Amino acid sequence: IMADDKDVLRDVWFGRIPTCFTLNQDEVTEREAEAYYLLLPRVSYLTLVTDKVKKHFLKVMRTEDVEEMWFEYEGTPLKWHYPIGVLFDLHASNSVLPWSITVHFKNFPDRDLLHCPSSSVIEAHFMSSIKEADALKHKSQVVNDMQKKDHKQLWMGLQNDKFDQFWAMNRKLMEYPTEEGGFRYIPFRIYQAMSDRPFIQKLFRPVSPEGNAYTLGDLLKEMYPAAITNDGEQKRYQVVIHGIEPLLETPLQWLSEHLSHPDNFLHICVVPTPSD
Amino acid sequence: MAAVTANARGVVTDPAGVSPRDSRPPAPGAGGRSAESWKGHIIRELKHRDLSQHAMFQDLIRFYTQLLEKTSLTKGLLSSSARRPPAGSAPLSSLLQQSIQLKKTTGELAYQVVELQQQIKIKDSVLEEQHARLLQERRCLSRVSDAHQELRAQVEQVQGQNTALKVEYDALLERQRAAEAKLRQETVRGEELLAKVMKRKNQAAARMNSHNERRSRAREATLQAAARSKVNLDRSAVHPLSSTSPSSGFSNSSSAPSSRSTSPKNEKRDASMERKPMRLVRSASVTSPRILTSIKELFEKRRGHSVCSQEEDLVSPVRICVSARVPARALQVLDAHEQDINAVRFSSSSDLLATGGTDKVIKLWEVRAGLLTHRGTLDGSTEGITCIEFDPMGFRILAASYSKAAMLWQLGDSVPKVTLTGHSRKVTAARFSSILHQVVTGSADGSIRLWDLRRAACLQSRNVAKYCSDLVCSENCIISGHYDGQIRVWDSRAASCVQVLPAQGKVTSLDLSSDHRQLLSCCRDDCLQLFDLRRWSNERVTFRADGFKCGSDSTKAVISPDCCYLAAGSADGAVYIWNVSTGKLETRLPDKHSSSISAVSWSLSGEYFVSVDKSKRAVLWSDM
Repeated sequence: IMADDKDVLRDVWFGRIPTCFTLNQDEVTEREAEAYYLLLPRVSYLTLVTDKVKKHFLKVMRTEDVEEMWFEYEGTPLKWHYPIGVLFDLHASNSVLPWSITVHFKNFPDRDLLHCPSSSVIEAHFMSSIKEADALKHKSQVVNDMQKKDHKQLWMGLQNDKFDQFWAMNRKLMEYPTEEGGFRYIPFRIYQAMSDRPFIQKLFRPVSPEGNAYTLGDLLKEMYPAAITNDGEQKRYQVVIHGIEPLLETPLQWLSEHLSHPDNFLHICVVPTPSD
Repeated sequence: MAAVTANARGVVTDPAGVSPRDSRPPAPGAGGRSAESWKGHIIRELKHRDLSQHAMFQDLIRFYTQLLEKTSLTKGLLSSSARRPPAGSAPLSSLLQQSIQLKKTTGELAYQVVELQQQIKIKDSVLEEQHARLLQERRCLSRVSDAHQELRAQVEQVQGQNTALKVEYDALLERQRAAEAKLRQETVRGEELLAKVMKRKNQAAARMNSHNERRSRAREATLQAAARSKVNLDRSAVHPLSSTSPSSGFSNSSSAPSSRSTSPKNEKRDASMERKPMRLVRSASVTSPRILTSIKELFEKRRGHSVCSQEEDLVSPVRICVSARVPARALQVLDAHEQDINAVRFSSSSDLLATGGTDKVIKLWEVRAGLLTHRGTLDGSTEGITCIEFDPMGFRILAASYSKAAMLWQLGDSVPKVTLTGHSRKVTAARFSSILHQVVTGSADGSIRLWDLRRAACLQSRNVAKYCSDLVCSENCIISGHYDGQIRVWDSRAASCVQVLPAQGKVTSLDLSSDHRQLLSCCRDDCLQLFDLRRWSNERVTFRADGFKCGSDSTKAVISPDCCYLAAGSADGAVYIWNVSTGKLETRLPDKHSSSISAVSWSLSGEYFVSVDKSKRAVLWSDM
């Protein structure tokens, strides 16, 4: 069973999305820009893994026409500070593969996106997420007991796509006292495709006061009852994590331990069931 | 639904549009599913997801990326090359064909170009590397040639220096040659001069010898004549001459026989001599006691005057002993000092004896009627006495001591008149020089010093670096004995060692005969050696005896005043006396000393003999 759990962690870590980057038609180019294809890691961030993309398009552009690069999918600016997998599941889970992203070098949508001048900004965002998650799980005790180099190890693990390096440290963040049956609260975020609200994040314990383990269904019932399909109803929503739909009876604690992103949050996307 | 859906089961076309909810959940929902079915579901779904999203596109994207790289390269090439004008009226199909063909060739060319560019790059890098190496080598070469230049300059400099040195060396060599030639010349001249001097000296010595011989023969003849007349007188008339005044002018000893001393003592002795005529067999003259008594009286008279002018000093009396008597009997045995007695010496008038010992004092004894009577003590030395000598006139005593000094006393004073300091170790010998007012000392520090008594100053110091145990002074030379078994003869004027006489082992003492012709040395290997100084040669006569053993490093041996006997005390407490003419032991006088005899002395009159030992004892001997 433990080997299975490890496989799950690996599969989550090494999840990839085939992506086609095309330059925005409005961009001024010296010659026609070819499309660029890339397998994007689901658990990483857009601005962290698109150096090659940028390089590719800069070849056909004059430097004076280049501003900060940003991405857009079917009119929606893509927030780099969400994990790539979340962006895909939320916006494109039912679209044709490869995922086609448009690359922009001007008209940065300041209202929708955060600027990302360097990877240190990504690092800061990533670390703050981890800290927030640990505050929920262990009242920050574990993350505060770590040394600076331990924090660095987490970040470098993600940046260089080193599964073992990352998990050697992340393991500590996933521990909990056996008698409690789980974390203090589950760090989760529920994203909705058709809402302007960013995401739902509330306090939710993994175990009921009676000692029963809460499930994904319990969480949704509490947070997003509409996502659950009642008997006899047409299924309206898909609940997607890492590109799959886990069963609703899956224990929430286990999900948090195994299907959380490297930022230690369980990102849940609720998307409408595609109609034919 | 599009061709591929992200969350679908991965089937490329799913026209049925079966949703996951529709197809999947019913199976687990059918009941009896395990507690872990949700996990199995997740694992399966993940695998499925990866298959459809990852595995399917992985190779495709890789190939695309490679192609993209290639085409971008090709495009770069094409854009730079000149475009050919279109063919014109050629049929479209053939143009297309051509275009395809061209594209193909272009592709191949592009590939070749890429390959060639790669090769160019490699060659370039190789060239660059070689350039760098060349540069480095050139730099190295220039460095080495610099060093070479420098070394060459150094070589030239050293060669210049060498030449200068060579010139200098040649000049020095020339000078040395000149100096050597001069030295040879000087040596030859020195040899000539030396030969001349030696010749003169030999002549002088021969003259002196013959002169002395003549004189002594004449004296002997006179004495014998006198004796004969005396005997005749004695026999013929006993009393008539008693009125003769003793002050009738004895200016020197040669006139002694003419003295008609008529003291009762002399009478008595004469009588006794007559009673024992056998005693006279060896004696050349029966009158000698009488002569000596007169001499004594003469000097007593002088001492009474107590004025010793330089004139009188200069006219030192020549005292000759006609014959010495071989001691046979101990007249007196006494404990003379508090500690060891190291030195003993008769005055030239034979009536005074001085002894010196470790108890730091010199004691004076009057010798009268076969008895020693204590007459005075000379103190002032801070250490033990090693050597004593009377001056020829008998007014002064010179002594050497352990205190690194030699001292001179006037007979009347008990404190030293002059103290000669300068030696660095004990002084072993102190002798009056043949030159007036000068004394010579020898020391354990290996030096021999010449002193002026009037200034109490050291005139000369000769360093031998060998322990000097004793020395004696002749007219023109100083003779010293050393622990290295050598006797060195020094020219007192030239301050140089003129001869070295090898002895047998450590020399403990030296003695010079009264006629200065013979030198006696006592050695630590229990033998006495007699050298003839007139011959200036290494010839010597050695005297030994069974039982004779040299008791210490300072044992003193003497020659009898008539030069016929040698005497020395042995470690066994016996006195040994050898006959010079026979070379045999004459007599051995045992039993009076209980310890090693350190010194002996023979009175100049030949009448008395004294031996002293290491246990305070002094013994006075005589033939009677």
